[in-house]
Amino acid sequence: MASNCKLAVPAILLALMAGAEARAHHSFTATYFEDQTIEIEGKLLQFMFRNPHTFVHVEAPDEHGQMQRWAVEWGGAGQLSSQGVTNQTLRVGDVVTITGNPGRDPADHRIRLQYLRRNSDGFDWGRRPGETFN
Amino acid sequence: MRASAGWLLLALGAGAANAQVNLVGEWSARVHEDFGDRVPGDVQGDFTGVPLNDAARRYAEAFDVTRVAVLEHQCQPYNVAHIYRGPLQFRLWEDKDPATQEIIAYRQYLGTYMQWRTIWMDGRTHPPDYAPHTFMGFSTGRWNGDILTVDTTHIKKEFYRRSGIPSSDETTLIEHYIRHGDLLSHVIIVTDPVYLTEPYVNSQEFVRMARGNQNWLYNCEYAMEVPKPKNEVPHYLSENPFIEEFAEKFGLPFPAVFGGAETLYPEYVPKLEALMNQSR
Repeated sequence: MASNCKLAVPAILLALMAGAEARAHHSFTATYFEDQTIEIEGKLLQFMFRNPHTFVHVEAPDEHGQMQRWAVEWGGAGQLSSQGVTNQTLRVGDVVTITGNPGRDPADHRIRLQYLRRNSDGFDWGRRPGETFN
Repeated sequence: MRASAGWLLLALGAGAANAQVNLVGEWSARVHEDFGDRVPGDVQGDFTGVPLNDAARRYAEAFDVTRVAVLEHQCQPYNVAHIYRGPLQFRLWEDKDPATQEIIAYRQYLGTYMQWRTIWMDGRTHPPDYAPHTFMGFSTGRWNGDILTVDTTHIKKEFYRRSGIPSSDETTLIEHYIRHGDLLSHVIIVTDPVYLTEPYVNSQEFVRMARGNQNWLYNCEYAMEVPKPKNEVPHYLSENPFIEEFAEKFGLPFPAVFGGAETLYPEYVPKLEALMNQSR
């Protein structure tokens, strides 16, 4: 795991500019270790493009090499739509590499997505300006 | 000349009879104040500023914030005593009696969780205690000068904070709507005999939207976000490892964070200083 420090400014600006209907129904800071990042690589099992938040389920090994079903939290459908992400962006079976903050309960195998890359064609999200969510 | 003066008096008189401040329009929240709590949320264990009682403390100690990911809670709206604290835009309009043009009710549509409210202005009384409770409750309003004051009862239980400070179905709410040009101050005074020792007071600011936008929908869909055994409810009934995280992050003594009403007043400052000196 590597230390990570994200700027809060883009999220703040987006929230203020958008009328910000996308308030997290929970606090991300309280749900995830925001000072830590992990990376997983695996096969996409489910893509739930929805509100209040999109979830991506990925089958990938944990740090012990055991296969797990990871629940990766992404932005709400409304917010992601404004960034060009649709319910057709990802498909079951896609092999993806995901970096994000781990959940506080290791048994949940939960991640807050920061960066996603599809290995087959290089599609990625999370490193261009505005590619953030709250 | 006399006829003109008469018309002028009539016009002025008609205006004076209906001279309440106009609150109609679309209003968008400004969340700079308390931003960390109101938008992204902070680490667990923020109980500052709330006059919570021991029952609320026990609830908060056992609360796991991931409980909102349980299927039954994912799309649960915030109640009327809480929802204005978040990022929000609301539309307000009037229902008028066609014959008299008197205001029968103010109506609101809140974008977050797509909630509807009616604030009755026709003098009707609140329903009996056994009437159904809703997230927006039952509201009646009255003008005090230029301030619209609203009383709300029959509110469903929810939370005052996402950190797990609960509200009960005995919560009642007083709101004051105070317009200053295109700014609207919204003061809320919450009373809850089950979880609060005294009224909990907050204020929010809204700005009248000069242009409309399309950000009015909140179509929430239930899904198994994080695979868990059916009927499992996340909790910390035995021990909450994160309960003091907020206090530690901001260098505050935990009793000051968890202390309820006494911590809200200036008289608490010497006690806070003593606690901080002890911890040094």
